[in-house]
Amino acid sequence: MNNYDVIVVGAGNGGLAAAATTAKNGLKTLLLEKHNLPGGCATSFSRGRFEFEPSLHELCSVGTKDTPGKVYKVLDGLGADIDWRYEYNPYRAIVKGKNGYDVTLSGSIDGFCDSMELAVPGCRESVRAFLALAEKNERALAYVDQKNGNPNKLVMAAKYGDFLRTASSSVNDVMIALGIPEKARRILETYWGYLGVPCDELNCMHYLSMIYGYIKEGAAMPYRRSHELSLSLCKVIFDHGGEIYFNSEVTEFLYDENKRVIGVAVGEKKYYAKEVISNVIPHNVFNMSDPSAIPTTDLKLANAREFGISVATIYLGLDCTAEELGIKDYTVFVMSEADSRAQWDKRTEGSLYIVNCLNMVIPDSSPEGTCTMFFTMPIFGSDVPKDLKPQDYKKYKNELAKKYIQDYEKLMGLDIMSHIEEISIATPVTFARYLGTPEGTIYGYKTSDWDNVIMRTQCEAKEYTIPGLSFCGGHAVMGDGFSCAYLTGSSVGERVSKRIKEGGNK
Amino acid sequence: MSKPNLHSINPIKFLKMDGIRKQKIESAEAKPLPPLSSYVPNQLAAALHPEKQYLKIVDVIEHSSDVKTFVFGANKEKGTEALAYFSAGQYLSISIKVGSAVITRPYSLSSSPKESLEGKYTLTIKRVKDGLATNYILDNWTVGTEVEASAPLGDFTYEPLRDAKKIIGLAGGSGITPFFSLAKAIADGDEDAELTLLYGSRTMNDVLFLKEFNAIAKKCPKFRLVNVLSDEDAKDCEHGFLTAELIKKYAPVDEPYSIFLCGPQAMYDFADKEIATLGLRRKFIRHELFGEYHNPQRNEDYPIKGTEKFSITVHIAGEAKVVEANANDTILCSLEKNGIAAPAHCRSGICGWCHSRLISGEVYVPKSVDGRRLADLKFKYIHPCCSFPVSDVEIEVPPMK
Repeated sequence: MNNYDVIVVGAGNGGLAAAATTAKNGLKTLLLEKHNLPGGCATSFSRGRFEFEPSLHELCSVGTKDTPGKVYKVLDGLGADIDWRYEYNPYRAIVKGKNGYDVTLSGSIDGFCDSMELAVPGCRESVRAFLALAEKNERALAYVDQKNGNPNKLVMAAKYGDFLRTASSSVNDVMIALGIPEKARRILETYWGYLGVPCDELNCMHYLSMIYGYIKEGAAMPYRRSHELSLSLCKVIFDHGGEIYFNSEVTEFLYDENKRVIGVAVGEKKYYAKEVISNVIPHNVFNMSDPSAIPTTDLKLANAREFGISVATIYLGLDCTAEELGIKDYTVFVMSEADSRAQWDKRTEGSLYIVNCLNMVIPDSSPEGTCTMFFTMPIFGSDVPKDLKPQDYKKYKNELAKKYIQDYEKLMGLDIMSHIEEISIATPVTFARYLGTPEGTIYGYKTSDWDNVIMRTQCEAKEYTIPGLSFCGGHAVMGDGFSCAYLTGSSVGERVSKRIKEGGNK
Repeated sequence: MSKPNLHSINPIKFLKMDGIRKQKIESAEAKPLPPLSSYVPNQLAAALHPEKQYLKIVDVIEHSSDVKTFVFGANKEKGTEALAYFSAGQYLSISIKVGSAVITRPYSLSSSPKESLEGKYTLTIKRVKDGLATNYILDNWTVGTEVEASAPLGDFTYEPLRDAKKIIGLAGGSGITPFFSLAKAIADGDEDAELTLLYGSRTMNDVLFLKEFNAIAKKCPKFRLVNVLSDEDAKDCEHGFLTAELIKKYAPVDEPYSIFLCGPQAMYDFADKEIATLGLRRKFIRHELFGEYHNPQRNEDYPIKGTEKFSITVHIAGEAKVVEANANDTILCSLEKNGIAAPAHCRSGICGWCHSRLISGEVYVPKSVDGRRLADLKFKYIHPCCSFPVSDVEIEVPPMK
């Protein structure tokens, strides 16, 4: 009776989308989750009268029913019932100090270029050219798709040269080649933290596809925090006869004599399937596998990779409204250095943090007369002090929170501290606890220079070679972020469905 | 001037990327990957939030026939090497087997955080009339008893960025335990707060930890105990109840203070009315968990009259069972009574550990303990610990971890 078509391990965004896809395709699907709730980062938590969003800043590539983006198509196609809300202003970027700036960017391509021109006179044409590359890339990718991933190289070189250039260059290199003035480059770099790689290393195509999506389609958020996203996908799974077992941590991946994955163990219990999809990071999967079943390339790849960033976050429930407090923006990036590499280098000194106020998008996301604030600092799990003892952890968290809150109070002239009715502070330790990832990474592997998403996608078939096992989620080919996790989950789910229906084998 | 373009970048670079990646992977070692326990954040997560703690009773202190303090050490034979550190005010969820029922109960730690580092936890438990768990515990737990507990849980803690530095504690009955921990944490220098504890009891005989509290107050000026006796007049004690007047008498006049409350429901009902007259902001009033919800019949919006019975069909990891349930029992209690182990921690509707899917049927959830999230309401999830069946119901409950 423990035989399934597909077992999905981990109910993070990727796992939920994968299981929803295979269940909807009529396959007998079991989703196993170690925690008592679905979603991984996509959840919510309550403190007093507040329900907090733990991780989502904004989803890109959603769009609306009439102009659906990629993510909307996937989720809506699955039948996920989500009440979307939108924010069309990309961000406000503040760089502190003498040569700093305070710029608020507007949405839509024209609006964005207008606000860039206002901030840096003379940059409009080069900024527009930068964003236009995103459109060119989409056309190139459509061609690659049409040729089933085997495009004619001459056609690519002749027609899609700029695609090859942006796909093989860093954000900085492309911006410099386009002659974008330095200050405008710095402002354009602001979103790097969402991908966790500074712009002298971050693949330009990867960055463009994200930033262009935000500017063109706006950002979307579920009305009931990310918990709504996760439960909507659970419903799809249940509606199509799939099963989800919570509190069920997979402890071993099972292989047959041909080193093919045939199932998983949850403690004493064993579950078998034709194919297994892992939303769990390869590092953990390999450590739960017979070492002789791991192909050398896969193991070398895992050893070669660096973990992506984690975050420290502060969740505040305040006993005054955003208006009373003087908050005007949904997203504010606060930086002490203008360029992303310097922010990266000085990340533990508070060189970059992001402040969100969900009430600006969803006014009733907290009770009347209150508002919430959400601070995010990109840091690595390895930035947590090595000698930090459990008994000093509370103090560490509170000192961290105090530093950032006071910095923001001073910068914006706000009184936040005296209004704190609820507070919760998360660090990489928190994410290590809830996600179970090495170092508490939330971004899987760093999409570094050589390990960028373009090459991950191109090399996928050669690198993830264990028969019967596929990967999806933030650590997978498309990189991190809610959107990418849904997209890889869905595409892996479709691929596995197709294989099983055709009786083929991976 | 030409339009902005990328001519200075050679597209051939693209073709070289594959080789760079291949080389990078080739040159990596094929060594086994480090285990999770080798990373600092994972080590801290495991130390602070172990999945389970296996404990063993090393001492029992009898305060009276109805109140005992159990002293626990780590049960190393079962695999618990050290006890998780905690914040004063947190509780352990204990799981016990009473007859065929497997039940859980949350009990505040009465020991100090510092003592946990020395391998010691204490729980002080008072007999509740007809209480399934407390009767079992007081009659059966003894030195050597092995007990399974959760990690320390709960938010009834002093938070320096949220609370006023001066705390007025209102304790009633066995609600004294988290304050005992907090007083010690303050004296140890582990919490930088000041606590004036207004401790409501019937008579001096009912006061717990009197000697210990006095010893703390003697060495630590940041702690003060005021016994408030309802049924007798005693030297250096207040006579009466935990009124607004009394709070005002002991609260600072010219600076903010937080009120922390822990006690039985009757105390909350009384004290909340009193506190309301003080005009404090909500952020300065913190309650410990309300605890198990009994007698939903007392609520006007409760739809059941009389003593109806319903059936509960429960699915747990692919297995289904049907049990009969009293309408006036929570779904969690009905499962437990029928020998079905279900996850639960706070048993007050707040922590969400029992989060379960309502497949069909209707439940009644008292408003004061409805800690469900917005999406839970949309997609019909319940907390069985505070949901009462009002029809036959079918639910899916996660297995115990």
